[in-house]
Formats: sequence, C-alpha cells, structure tokens
Amino acid sequence: MIQIKDLEKFYKTEEVQTIALNKLSFNVKEGEFVAIMGPSGCGKSTLLNILGLLDDPDGGSFMFNGTEVAGYNERKRSELRKHNIGFVFQSFNLIDELTVFENVELPLIYTGVKPAERKKQVEAVLEKMQIMHRRNHFPQQLSGGQQQRVAVARAVVNKPKLILADEPTGNLDSTNGNEVMDLLIDLNEAGTTIIMVTHSEHDAKYSHRIIRMLDGQKVTENILA
Amino acid sequence: MFKNYIKIAIRNLWKNRTFTALNVVGLTVAFGVALLLGMYAVFQLSFDRFHEHGDEIYQVYTEDSGLNGIEANISKSEPFAAALKDEVTGVEKITRYNGSGVLLTYQDKQLGMGTAYVDPDFFDMFSFSIIKGDKTNPITSESSVAMTEQAAKRIFGDENPIGQTVTILRDEVEVPFNVTAIIEDFPNTSSIGFDIVLNFKSQNEHAYARTVGRWDMENHEVYMQLSEGLKPEQFEKSTADFTQLHYKNEIDNAKRDGLQPNADGLYRQIKVLPLADVRFANFNQGVVSVNRTMPYLVLGISFLILFIACVNFINMSIAKSSQRLREIGMRKTLGANKKQLFFQFWGESILVFLISIGLGILLAVFLLPYFQTLFKTQASLATLLNPTLLLVLILSVLLITLIAGGYPALLMSRLGTLQSLKGKLDVNGKNHLRNSLMVLQFGIAILLISGTLVLWDQVGFMRAKDLGFNKDQVIAFPLNGELNDQQAIELLRNTLQDKPNIESVTASNNILGLGKDGSRSTSILGFEHKGRGVDTHMVVVDADYVETLDLNIIEGRSFRKNLASDSLSVIINEAMAKQLNEDDILASQIDLDDAVYSVVGVIKDFNFQELDQNIAPMTLFALPNWNLRNVYVKVSSQNLEQAYTDVKAAWHTIEPNAEFQGSFLNENIERTLRSERTMITMIGSGSILAIVLSCIGLFAMSLLIVAQRKKEIGVRKIVGASVSAITILLTKDFLKLVVIAFLIASPIAWWAMHNWLQNYAYHIDLNIWMFLLAGGIAVVIAMLTIAVKTIKAATSNPVDALRTE
Repeated sequence: MIQIKDLEKFYKTEEVQTIALNKLSFNVKEGEFVAIMGPSGCGKSTLLNILGLLDDPDGGSFMFNGTEVAGYNERKRSELRKHNIGFVFQSFNLIDELTVFENVELPLIYTGVKPAERKKQVEAVLEKMQIMHRRNHFPQQLSGGQQQRVAVARAVVNKPKLILADEPTGNLDSTNGNEVMDLLIDLNEAGTTIIMVTHSEHDAKYSHRIIRMLDGQKVTENILA
Repeated sequence: MFKNYIKIAIRNLWKNRTFTALNVVGLTVAFGVALLLGMYAVFQLSFDRFHEHGDEIYQVYTEDSGLNGIEANISKSEPFAAALKDEVTGVEKITRYNGSGVLLTYQDKQLGMGTAYVDPDFFDMFSFSIIKGDKTNPITSESSVAMTEQAAKRIFGDENPIGQTVTILRDEVEVPFNVTAIIEDFPNTSSIGFDIVLNFKSQNEHAYARTVGRWDMENHEVYMQLSEGLKPEQFEKSTADFTQLHYKNEIDNAKRDGLQPNADGLYRQIKVLPLADVRFANFNQGVVSVNRTMPYLVLGISFLILFIACVNFINMSIAKSSQRLREIGMRKTLGANKKQLFFQFWGESILVFLISIGLGILLAVFLLPYFQTLFKTQASLATLLNPTLLLVLILSVLLITLIAGGYPALLMSRLGTLQSLKGKLDVNGKNHLRNSLMVLQFGIAILLISGTLVLWDQVGFMRAKDLGFNKDQVIAFPLNGELNDQQAIELLRNTLQDKPNIESVTASNNILGLGKDGSRSTSILGFEHKGRGVDTHMVVVDADYVETLDLNIIEGRSFRKNLASDSLSVIINEAMAKQLNEDDILASQIDLDDAVYSVVGVIKDFNFQELDQNIAPMTLFALPNWNLRNVYVKVSSQNLEQAYTDVKAAWHTIEPNAEFQGSFLNENIERTLRSERTMITMIGSGSILAIVLSCIGLFAMSLLIVAQRKKEIGVRKIVGASVSAITILLTKDFLKLVVIAFLIASPIAWWAMHNWLQNYAYHIDLNIWMFLLAGGIAVVIAMLTIAVKTIKAATSNPVDALRTE
C-alpha cells in the first residue's frame, strides 16, 4: 500500500538547517498494523505528516496505492486524503463548537455525502464506538477516553483504507488507553491499515511490526506477528 | 453544510460574546448613523430632481464686470425673458419667477400665502401637476389663481375650490381672483416652493407695472427650457448679439472704466445654470460656484464611520483567528478546501453584519425624529425608497461585507494545514496591517476632532464679532399685515412711544441677518459718477435708522427727525466714500436719473451682509412713500423679554390678523449661521462617533494583546519589572500608533481647514493649539481605554500567568 524510498525532509530557519528525515525507506502492506517508535525529535511526527499527505517531502519517493504522490499539490493531496486516510491525534483535535455527532459527521460533509446517508453512517459508527448516548454532548463535556473514541469514530466514519494515529493514548490513563488500542485492533482486524506513532512499548506491542527511528533514519525493524 | 456553518457560526459568536458584542455594537451604531447621514445627503442631492424636463431647465443669470471683479446676477428685467425667447434660438419655454408672501381672504378667513408669480410656460416646464381644474392654461388670466392641495384645504376645507373667488391684498386694495386649478402637493425636495401661483403680471405696482419695458430695473428670476439636444455652452455663445443689443451702454461703460472682462473676454455674458445646481449655487463671490460640499461631506463622514467600524471588525477577526487555528487545521485535514473554509468564515461575518444592519435600521428609525429636529431636515427613510438607491445600498452592504468579512476569511482559509494544526500563526505581516488600519482610524478621528475645533472657533468668532450695529437690543420684524408700510410704522410708533422699555422705532427695505420669515432682499444701484460707473447697495430707511441700530456717524450728520426734509439727502458708508473718492465727501453729490442727492453723512462700515463677504459700498436713502418692509425696534437692555412681549402686543393691536415674526437681530445673525451650525453638529457628532468606535477597536485589541502577552508579562514581573514598567510596555505600542495618526492627520486637517476658512472674508487664524488639542484628546481617550486592561494585567500575579502556559 505504501512504499517510501530515500524519503527526505529538511526544516530550514535563517541560520540552521535541521534534517528531519534522512533517506528513510520502508514499505507497509495493506491490512498491516505498524508502530513507529523513537525518541523526541527523531522524525516520527514528520513522517506521519508526510504519510498523511499533510506535508510534502523534500526528496525521495512516496508511492501510495501504486501512485507516486510526492510532489502532489495541496488540492490533490486533500482529495486523496479525504477519501483514503483517517487521523487520530494525541490531543484529539475535536472541534469544541461542534457536538459529538457533528464532529463525526464532518468528514462526510466534506466528501459530499447526502444528509440522510450521513446520519445513518454516523449513528452506526457511534454505536460501534459505544458513545451513541453522548451524541449531543460537546467535547468539553466528555472524559479524555470518550473524546479519543469520538476522534477514532471521526477517523473511521469515511471507511478509510489507512488510519494514522499520532500517540493516540498519550493523553489517556491506562484503562482508557487500552480501550482505544482495542478499538484500533478491531479496525485493523476488519482490514484497515494502521500506522501508529508511539512512545509506549506497551501500545507498540499491539502492532505487527515496530520500526524504530533515530535522527530521521530507520534504526531497527522488529516483526511481532 | 450550510446548516453546519450557521450552527458553528452562532456557537462561535456566543463563545466570544465580548468580541461579538463589541463588533455588533460598533457596526450597529455605524450602520444606523450611516443610514441617517446617507438619508440627509441623498435628500439634499435629490433637490429639484423630480421634474420630468429637469435636465433641460436652467436658471438664467449674467456675468457682469463690476468694480470688484465679475459679479453674477440672477435678477432680470421685465422685458428680458420675452426678448430672449424671441431673439435667441434654442429657448423652448421661458418663465419669469418672483416669490413673495401675500395676504389672502376668503369669507372670514385671512391667510398668509407663499406666492409664486410666474408666466404661463411655468406649468409646461416644471412638473407641478394640475390635478383639478384648467390643466392647459391655469394662470393665463391675470385674475386666475392656482393653488396646492394643501393650500386649498386650508382655505376651503372640504368645499370644491374650483371656481371659487378669493381676494388678495395688492396695493392696499382687495383684488378678486378666481381659483382655476389645484396643483398636486409636490415633494419637499423642491427649491421652488409656494402655496399659490399667480400670473407674473398680477404683482403689485412696485414689482410689475413700474418695471414694464425697463431694462434697467431687475427684480425677478428667469427660468428657461432649452431645446432638446442644445448644449448650454452653445446657447450661452449664441446670446452674444442679444447682449450687445440690449446692454450696449453697460458694456461700453465697463470698457471705459477699465473693468476686467470675464473668462470669455466679455463684459456682460448671459449664462445658464442647470436646475439641479440652483440649490447649491453661490452667487455671492463673483463667478457662480456650485458647491455640494455639505452633502458630500456628510456622505464622507458616514463612509468614514463605517470604515472605522469595519476596521474594528477586520482587526478583531484576524486577531481572534489565532484561537481557531486547530479548528482550521482539523477541517483541512478532514478534506475541507479553501473555498469551503472561506465561505464558512465569511458566512460568520455576514451573520454579524446582518444582525448589525437590522439593529442599525432600528436605531436609525428610533433616532430619526431627533435627527430631523437637530439637523432641521425633512429627510426620512422614504428618501431612500427608490429602486436605484436601494440597489446601490444593497450592493454597498454586500461590498462592505465582502471586504470586511471576506479579507479575514481569505486569510484564514489560506493557512497551511500543518501550520494551523500545530496552532502556529505567523502574525508579523498581519500586525503591519492591523497597525496601519488603527493609524487610519485614529487619523480619521483626529481629523474630525480638529475640524470640529476649528469650526467651533470660527462660529464663535462670527457670533462674537462686533458687526458695527446693535444686535442685542434691536427687534426686527416684517410688515406682513393689511396696512400700508407708512401707516403701520406710524401706528407702531404711536403705540410704543409711551412704553418705558422702548427706545426708538424705525424701518427699512432691507433686513439685517435672516428674519423669522426667511426673506431677504438686496437692491444694488449702478450710476455714473464723474464719468465713472459706481455701484452701491441701496437701503431706504425711515427716521431714526442710524440711531436705532447704533451706527457710528464718522462725518457729517444723521437724517433729521423730519425725514421729508432729507428726501434728497443720503448717508453713505466708508466703502462707498472710498469709491466716490472725493476730497470733501460732505460736499459731494450723486446724480441719479430722477434727482441729485447730497451726501450729508458718512457712517462707519458695518457688516450689513454675512461674514463671508467683504463690506460693500452702501447708501442710505430717506425716500418718501417707499416700501419699507422691515421694522426695527430698539428696546432697553433692562428687560428684553418684557420688551419683546410689548412689541408683539403692539403689533397685534395694529394688525390683529397678521402673524408676529419678530426676533432680535442677534437671532437673525444666528439664523445666517445655520449651515455652519449644521456642519459643527455633523462633524462634531462624527468625531465623537469616530473616537468612540476607534476606542472600541482599541479596547478589543488591548484585550487580545494582553491575553497573548500574558506569559511575557509574568516572566518580566518575576525578573523584577515594576507595575508602571509593565503598563508602559503594554501602552507604548498603542500610543505610538496614535502619535503617528496625529502626525499624518494634522497636516491634512490644517490644509482642509485652511481652505475652508478662505470661504469667509472674516475668519480666524489657524492656531497650532487646535491641532495639538485634537491630538491630545485622542491620546488621552485612547490611553484611558486601554488603561483598564493594561493596569489589571500589570498588577496580576505572575504565577497565575505562568501556570496557564
């Protein structure tokens, strides 16, 4: 599904150039669950942004479903993103002014799904995530675990092929964290490819493969299952 | 999607209640006031636009070479109109016009009526529609009268007016007139106003019969309709032979006296002024100048106020956008494109604008009666109810929302996805924009404040100026009753002579300032003096004129009590004496067609005209049996109110049916300052609004900046900064903007006010303190506005500030 080769990304300020990704290469197959680990500043989040088509690499190749997407403009990236990729963030990134239902509905609005169909899909995913009873609440009225479940619901409502999770349990206690990991496993088992950035060895163990990074490069790769 | 936008817009606006309220209040006030001012300006600009042939109608005037340069003259002689139509091609229709007041009697009713004396073409030219009676020749007969619906209602009530007979007092005789036509009440945007219309020939002896065939007696206006397609300039050129034929003497004399010709090299030229320009034309300063400054100034102020409110909106929207970065980022991540985001944010702005416009309209409706009273205008919401104007209004509102709401929306929709997700915003560029807009806001406020201060000073100067006559103790009123002038004056004298608080009574054919009845007239006399042409204002007076007005005799004597013995004497002012240029002025004589008059006295120059004009040469005559329309009564300074009541009572004994329209001369002078007072109120309220709205914006920005710099303030306090140091730190950036605004606005204000003052022959000198004061006011108000927030921030506990980070 994903093939990256010699991927590079630099950050430049007026005086300093920082290498965030240094000729990084690896592949992810459809249906795989990959965890990416490494110390702060090793380039994990940069990688995730590029894989999520939120950012463009400075060098190398990025094949998504057999198509070279490095160098795509914002419009093309956005088009590809909204139909294929779901995001789960450490800080949930729910929109405070929207209810649970409306937050989950948002990706469907932007992909042009009709209202009646939207309602059906959103309710289905809320049921599945067991937060249907909170559908009219605002994010501030929910616990962290509940908020992350809403974020996952939002990420999957469009039935994306790939879910990118950036430290999805980072802001949660262990019970809520485990619940979120169970959700991800369920999704993966249902066929969704997952790439997860994490600091947690415990969470990484849920994955099929762990890629460890340092200074923008891949250091090791452990296959768990 | 639309529902989603509306929902989030309402929730967002509610969440940021303080800012929403500041924006809605600012925009509501701005829209409300702009609507009122717009109404006023449109009302002014729509004067005389309702005539179907308005574009072809012109007022005829001449540019004459005079001693003081070119003089524009709208007064025309009796034969002029007919001759112009006969001799010059292109005159489709023409009418003479004289306006005056008459006393009309019907059964036991006696009513004062505003009268237009016109020629029959009048009704074919102007759109004063006849709705009843003779529609083709309503006033062809000299005994016909046409009247407005309102006038007919006043006179006849519900009776059918057509065919009724009324009498009108003319030359002391009740003359019967037959009502032939009823004119539909016309819009209040007509500069020609009347209750009744009579044939031009139906005027009194003095105004018509004695002027027949005389080219040298000019006492009325002339309006003409040009043939379709003929340009006014072409017509003016084609009148050269006509002028040469009928004004040969005047032209030859002007050449002989070495006078300056006009811009076309002519000593007398017939010119035409478009009807729509008549209301805005100024004939006082030589060449006619059409000046629509007032309505445009008002439109300008409304635009500036809207601009200030919109700047607040733009600045607050941009500043607040930093708090919505994550939302923007997340929406982009989920697939929102720029267009969708733009419409979302713009939609929110439109919501605020729609609420504000709605409230603004309500505010305008609520304030309208006060506005109409304050600015003495009949403008109303109906003024704006015309399809073109409404379209312009709607388009303007759309444009304003597109710019004020669209610009911040555009900025937000353009932010990078990652950048917004991370909550980072590069604000440097936008601060420049914010600062420039704030400088502009305060610049406008300072400009308007200095304008108000200068205007105030000038009007104060005009009020306080010694005009050379006693304006505080003299009551003036028109003789608008049935008795002839001499009888009325005599009776008044007799009635008032025993009253202890009455000092003297006199009369003259002119009025000083502007009387309560709003009328004024000027007679200018031109004659030959020792081979030179001489012009003088001609004022015919009754006994005690000089004494009643406390004029200063500087040479010779005043008129005698027995005025008849002075019927061949004149008193002249200094300007006239200078013009006559005689070694022994008291030995000089002026030779008019009918008699030779001896100069018996010279009075010190006094401002018998308004202060926008220099004192012109003037001659006082003591002619017997002349029309002396205005009475002047000097009263003792002890009890002015009682004296006024006594004069009014005396007038009612003499003329029980006539309205008493008396006022002290200082009130008459005050009436002439009406346009200046309107300007002060307009610019003054404009400047107050400008500064209040600018401060609303400033207050909002101080809230945001203090919030943004909370951590910095905390750190500075921890390392030892004092409360005053922090307050200065937070204040100085804003202060800098106000100072820059002052530096930019002051020279512009100086230039504008300097130019405006040139309209006045008597004016104040501009003084730097007026501008410093304006700047000072802006700085102090701005400082007070932000002090609340900055001092609070400076005194807060630094630990709290750091904890929230």
